[in-house]
Amino acid sequence: MANVKDYGNAELEEKLSDTSYYTTDSNPQFLEDVKKISRTAANMCFQCGTCTGSCPSAPRSSYRIRLFMRRGVLGLEKEALNDPDLWLCTTCYSCTDRCPRGLAPTDVIMAMRNLAFKVDIVPRNFLKTVQLIYKTGHGVPNNDVNRAARVKLGLPADPPTTHSYPEFIPGIQKIMDFYGMKDKADRILAEESK
Amino acid sequence: MADTKEESRIGVFICHCGTNIAGSLSIEDVKKYAETLDGVVVADDYQYMCSTPGQSKIIDAIKEHNLNGVVVAACSPRLHEPTFRTATEEGGLNKFRFEMANIRDQNSWVHMHDWEGATEKAKDQVLIAVAKCRMLEDLQPKSVPVEHAALVLGAGIGGMQAALDLASAGIKTYLVEKLPTVGGRMSQLDKTFPTLDCSQCILTPKMVDVGRHPNIELRTYTEVEKVEGYIGNFTITLRKKARGVLDPTEAEARGYVGGGCNGCGDCAEVCPVIKPNPFEMGMAPRKAIYIYHAQVMPLLYTIDFDSCVKCGLCVDACGPEKRAIDLESVDTFEEIKVGTCILAIGYDYIPIEEKREWGYKQFDNVITGLEFERLICASGPTTGHLIRPSDGQTPMKVGFVLCAGSRDNTGGVAKPYCSRFCCMYCLKHAHQIMEKIPGAVPYLFYMDIRAFGKMYEEFYYRVQSEGAKFIRGRVANILEDPTTKNLTVYTEDTLLGRPVAMEMDMVVLAAAVQPKADAEKIRQMFGVSKSQDGWLLEAHPKLNPCGTTTAGIYLAGVCQGPKDIPDTVAQAEGAASAASIPIHTGEVQLEPYFAQCNEEICAGCGMCLNQCPYGALALVEKNGRTVMEVTEAKCKGCGTCGGFCPGGAIKMQHFTSPQICAQIDAFLLKGEDY
Repeated sequence: MANVKDYGNAELEEKLSDTSYYTTDSNPQFLEDVKKISRTAANMCFQCGTCTGSCPSAPRSSYRIRLFMRRGVLGLEKEALNDPDLWLCTTCYSCTDRCPRGLAPTDVIMAMRNLAFKVDIVPRNFLKTVQLIYKTGHGVPNNDVNRAARVKLGLPADPPTTHSYPEFIPGIQKIMDFYGMKDKADRILAEESK
Repeated sequence: MADTKEESRIGVFICHCGTNIAGSLSIEDVKKYAETLDGVVVADDYQYMCSTPGQSKIIDAIKEHNLNGVVVAACSPRLHEPTFRTATEEGGLNKFRFEMANIRDQNSWVHMHDWEGATEKAKDQVLIAVAKCRMLEDLQPKSVPVEHAALVLGAGIGGMQAALDLASAGIKTYLVEKLPTVGGRMSQLDKTFPTLDCSQCILTPKMVDVGRHPNIELRTYTEVEKVEGYIGNFTITLRKKARGVLDPTEAEARGYVGGGCNGCGDCAEVCPVIKPNPFEMGMAPRKAIYIYHAQVMPLLYTIDFDSCVKCGLCVDACGPEKRAIDLESVDTFEEIKVGTCILAIGYDYIPIEEKREWGYKQFDNVITGLEFERLICASGPTTGHLIRPSDGQTPMKVGFVLCAGSRDNTGGVAKPYCSRFCCMYCLKHAHQIMEKIPGAVPYLFYMDIRAFGKMYEEFYYRVQSEGAKFIRGRVANILEDPTTKNLTVYTEDTLLGRPVAMEMDMVVLAAAVQPKADAEKIRQMFGVSKSQDGWLLEAHPKLNPCGTTTAGIYLAGVCQGPKDIPDTVAQAEGAASAASIPIHTGEVQLEPYFAQCNEEICAGCGMCLNQCPYGALALVEKNGRTVMEVTEAKCKGCGTCGGFCPGGAIKMQHFTSPQICAQIDAFLLKGEDY
């Protein structure tokens, strides 16, 4: 663990904190879990950068897929799961297409998201999406503006999805309940608003 | 049978191989077990059985216990069978009274985490070896004379060096090259790293030397058609491809005294057929009658009969004195006899256009390293002016994609191995750009710079100090601006942790190398193995890097695995030295694993003759009966005939049916009787 010095000044402590990487920072089980969930040899990344170079998110955000691969290799669980960038992958699979080691970085990200969800680390917008899917079957439900546009284009106001066939919503809810997604989203959002 | 004639007195010697064996199984248990076996009179162990003290144990035990058989349980016979046979012989026994149990490669290495299981398996292996040892017989190796000549296949820098060494050692050497000129890949290069010697300046003298060396028989535009025989006595059929042009000797043979090609080039001037010149990577034209470049050896024109229209203009231009052109010439064959062969057949580049993300053959200004060599070379199509193929402009920003298809496990055209010389030639290219074009900046996109050779790291330092930019990131993709034909290179600067989108005037791909397309055919003709990556397989990666598992065949250069010019020349000299040993010794000993015909049983059916892959068997009349006879020097002891013979009349020496049955019985019955 990092050395802690007491400066008696929070700002100074933050600024001068020890950022060294200690062997105790590593949780080897994290790498094993990521490998198991992602079904890719995440330990074999050699940090060439092809993934980030292929990433459409990277030039427009602070998301660096290679950095998450590195954290996986080293077992830096906390650093990986607490980084909000984890949720910026668009899952386009460009990195997986081009990785010279034949790995699937996209699936590593998905595995890390699964692990983060297990310990309640999920951005609010994802939780709200969970609630919306549970309620309507849509992550982004239809709205009045859309309906008007659709009618104007000669389409029915609602698309032929759960919006038109709400009898299928209980099936979706059953799947989500199996994983406890809705309950978890409700609970975390309720705790946050307290 | 040996066991009916004499009482077996066998010594078993178990090697620890440091901890290679002793770390995975109980040597002590195996030794105690060996002592209980029928016929075993002594069992011993040592840390390194192959060392002097280890071998002394064997030699002393043979004398002390009056042994008539030796079993060593250690590594692979491929590594140390010769070692222990020598020790057996030194102890006073026939060296074929030795049997080896491979308890390392086939046991301790594969059962590293199963102490009990590995120990039990080692006991079985010793049991089986002892069972065979009880039945071993004295055998005498056969000596055969060695042809005082050698073949070198491929006349690149490796083949030429090997041929020059062999020839200078007094050996007649046939240097066979399938192209019309010697020189190989190296003749396409402009400069060579790290010294920046002009490639032509250090290569052409060697090209001239191979042409005039009295012991070198040069055969250009020639391929190997057939290989027969064995070490010391190879018979090789060469196909001299129809060249359409006579050299002065050939002309004289036809009675055209003073005739033949003198390389004047009058023929090419009038030839109406224009084709891309493969020597210039298709960036310059050649005629249907052509030379690759001005420095070819031999200076002799060649007709490409695939594109020649036989208009006859060249015949007229050549004139009645020289009469060098024969439009009706055909392939001819020549049979040569050699004692040893060196394969130096070189390499190709992967079809890098199949890695679509880098845009080769889609975008004009994406070129390969070899194309760069021709564009920067003083004798190249642009006389050394580096230009963009799209518009002929001088590029000021040039990107280099390193590991283009190398170190890539995704299959297809990609190769998992490091191609080993791309890092260094990209550094050299970077230097050349900065030297020739003031203000131009090379950008090297790399994963690792592998500057491993003598003065290579120093060269890396020099190129960086000259201003080359190094960006640590493998290139993800390249896009072209359709208007300017400029290229944007996308990657991540992994050291900054930022995505990169850099506009370049030109991009050079350091494409991976792969074995020649015809390497597979040549490999099978010469009976050489290949490694999993397709390159020709050396006999041992460390201790016998020039030899192969086929006696008398040696390797030089990239055909054995990617290597640069210094390593190629070093290996070529090593191969030449190895190939000269049997020739200078004058005779080689063949393992006496010959098939033997029991003429009393042989019915003379002759069915074995068709089975033999080596043509070693024949039917002969003996005492009024037709029986089979083995030409021992041709027999490789493969056992095909012995396994096939319906009457059981063929005995495979050292692998007799009783010996093999004894091994099987020992394993299945564990020493019990039927």
